[in-house]
Amino acid sequence: MRVLIVEDEAKLAQAVASALNGEHYDVVIASTGEDGFFRANAEAFDLVLLDVMLPGRSGLEILQTLRQRHIDTPVLILTARDGVEDRVLGLDLGADDYLVKPFALPELLARVRALLRRGRPSEAFRLKAADLEMDLVARHAIRGDRVLDLTAREFDLLEYLLRHQGHLVSREMLAREVWKEPRRATPLDNVIDVQMTRLRRKVDAAAAERLIHTVRGVGFVLREGEP
Amino acid sequence: MKVPFSAASIRVKMTGWYTAALSLMLIVYAAATFLAVRQEFQESLDDQLHDDFESVEGLLTPTPDGRVAWSGDRRHEPDDDEERGSDVWSPSGDQIGRSGASQALPPVALATAGAQARYDSLVASGRRWRTLTGTTLVGGRSVVLRVSRSEERLREQLSEVLKVLVLGLPLVILLAGLSGYVLARRALAPIDHLAVEARRVTAERLHERVSVPNQHDEIGRLAAVINDTFARLESSFDKLRRFTADASHELRTPLAVIRGIGEAGLVETRSPDEYKEAIGSMLEEIDRLSTLVDTLLRLSHGDAGSVHLARESLDLDQLVRELVASLSVLAEERRQSISIQAQETVPVCADRLVLREAITNVLDNAIKYSPIGASIAVIVHADGDCGVVEVADQGPGISPEHRERIFDRFFRVDSARSRDTGGSGLGLAIAKWAVEINGGSIGVNAAVTGGSVFRISLPRGNV
Repeated sequence: MRVLIVEDEAKLAQAVASALNGEHYDVVIASTGEDGFFRANAEAFDLVLLDVMLPGRSGLEILQTLRQRHIDTPVLILTARDGVEDRVLGLDLGADDYLVKPFALPELLARVRALLRRGRPSEAFRLKAADLEMDLVARHAIRGDRVLDLTAREFDLLEYLLRHQGHLVSREMLAREVWKEPRRATPLDNVIDVQMTRLRRKVDAAAAERLIHTVRGVGFVLREGEP
Repeated sequence: MKVPFSAASIRVKMTGWYTAALSLMLIVYAAATFLAVRQEFQESLDDQLHDDFESVEGLLTPTPDGRVAWSGDRRHEPDDDEERGSDVWSPSGDQIGRSGASQALPPVALATAGAQARYDSLVASGRRWRTLTGTTLVGGRSVVLRVSRSEERLREQLSEVLKVLVLGLPLVILLAGLSGYVLARRALAPIDHLAVEARRVTAERLHERVSVPNQHDEIGRLAAVINDTFARLESSFDKLRRFTADASHELRTPLAVIRGIGEAGLVETRSPDEYKEAIGSMLEEIDRLSTLVDTLLRLSHGDAGSVHLARESLDLDQLVRELVASLSVLAEERRQSISIQAQETVPVCADRLVLREAITNVLDNAIKYSPIGASIAVIVHADGDCGVVEVADQGPGISPEHRERIFDRFFRVDSARSRDTGGSGLGLAIAKWAVEINGGSIGVNAAVTGGSVFRISLPRGNV
């Protein structure tokens, strides 16, 4: 999978590139709008990460030209402005998704995965990690031979972690995807932490192997084996 | 350069309007006076003619031969020769007598002379005359009698009156305008004075006030209003100053922590786990910093009025239950219980997201400041045109002098309270903003159970 990053801020481009490398993507960085457009036009990519505020040529212009030339590579736009106009304009011009800076890398990685997976059937009814199994239809979960007694919220939380197993999940993603709160607030962060503690107690307490890990300052990850 | 009237000073405008109104009234008054005088003159002339008619009547005597004779002095008023005259005709048209200036007048058409005496105005040999013509019986014989008087003297007098009125009017108007100008200037002088004083009060000297000479007159009231505005301006300047200081403090603290951790981490080589710990801790601070910046940005959007609200009618009771359910885990951690006492369906009109935030912050506040094991009471009810949520906690309570400021940005009752329990210091500020932008109000009082009651009141919806 090849990803093109069009971003003039070198440090940010490097950070994103190394995160994507960690997930085994091939990454190409273009630091100007012209270079970015040239590469996107000439080479084949599976995804373009496009900064909107670029020196020389604006990201939205590049996006527009690409779409006019029927280059349908998925595009994720990165905007520093929290303005609704930018977002709407970007999506209207054919962007597939957007992220507002400053964004968390787990969030970016999740969006990238979602865009690259798009179009493929990914709906599973059973999720599994080590000896943890979830049946989404019957809505029950077992760890080894132990049936987990989960509340509805805990069940949704575990499902989300399992769907993203091996990947970091930020509180922001949980707030939006599990709690369906469009806006992250401090009280909600506390609620997430408490729920996560309870869930971990139910899932990991009596087990030999810990599955749910807290990554300080970033979020949570469900994965088998120690990192 | 000519100054358009609308741009002229109030003084000039007042004088202009005053003069125009006065002129109009004077002109109407003068015209009425003139007309009344003319009427009076005319009537007195007619009265004189009537007297003349009667005296001429007395001079006519029947002669033995059955005719009528003009007896006595033909010129009864010798001086008035030019001014008046009289004619007598027999019914057959013979002139029986004539006197004075009557020669100038044309003879009367006898057929028109009825029994009723008649006044006429006519012009003869360049002069205006007023005549009274009538038929009278002298010794059984009827004769036609006409007396006449010149109108010239009357006209002269009238034109005299007119001259006085027309020449006097502009003079009076001029005097009135001048005194009006002087009066306006005197009346407006305190306003100029006020402007000079108000200009002295600047951002640097906002504590100064304009003087109020007499608080009961118009200028005094204006000065009081200006002072009131200055007071509010001063308080918002103070607020802004405090806010800027607090905000930079709040922003600097995480920055200092990040820097400290980074520097300490680089001083000596540590284990990978220690590095991870350090980086994680830096990220936490960064997270706190970005939440703070986001919140400030949102508040400033709110201040600028650039927040789009999607107000709808929603059930306050249901919303509160939802939020309590969502936050109840926090209370459970502190072994607190939250009780909800609610009327069924209390519809309010508000933006759901914004209102959620307000109530969430108030509930979170109650949980945070109530001790372990406390109980928190939430009451939802309708009150007149409002839907009301009350959240009673068992926290330390808020002293009356802090009750207003508790909603200020970054205000903390206990300034020593650490960031960890104190949150960002923006929760209640956000709640206040969120409630007020929805047309509601928020306040805090002492609870009977100890602690505080936060009361949010919102305009009713129409579910």
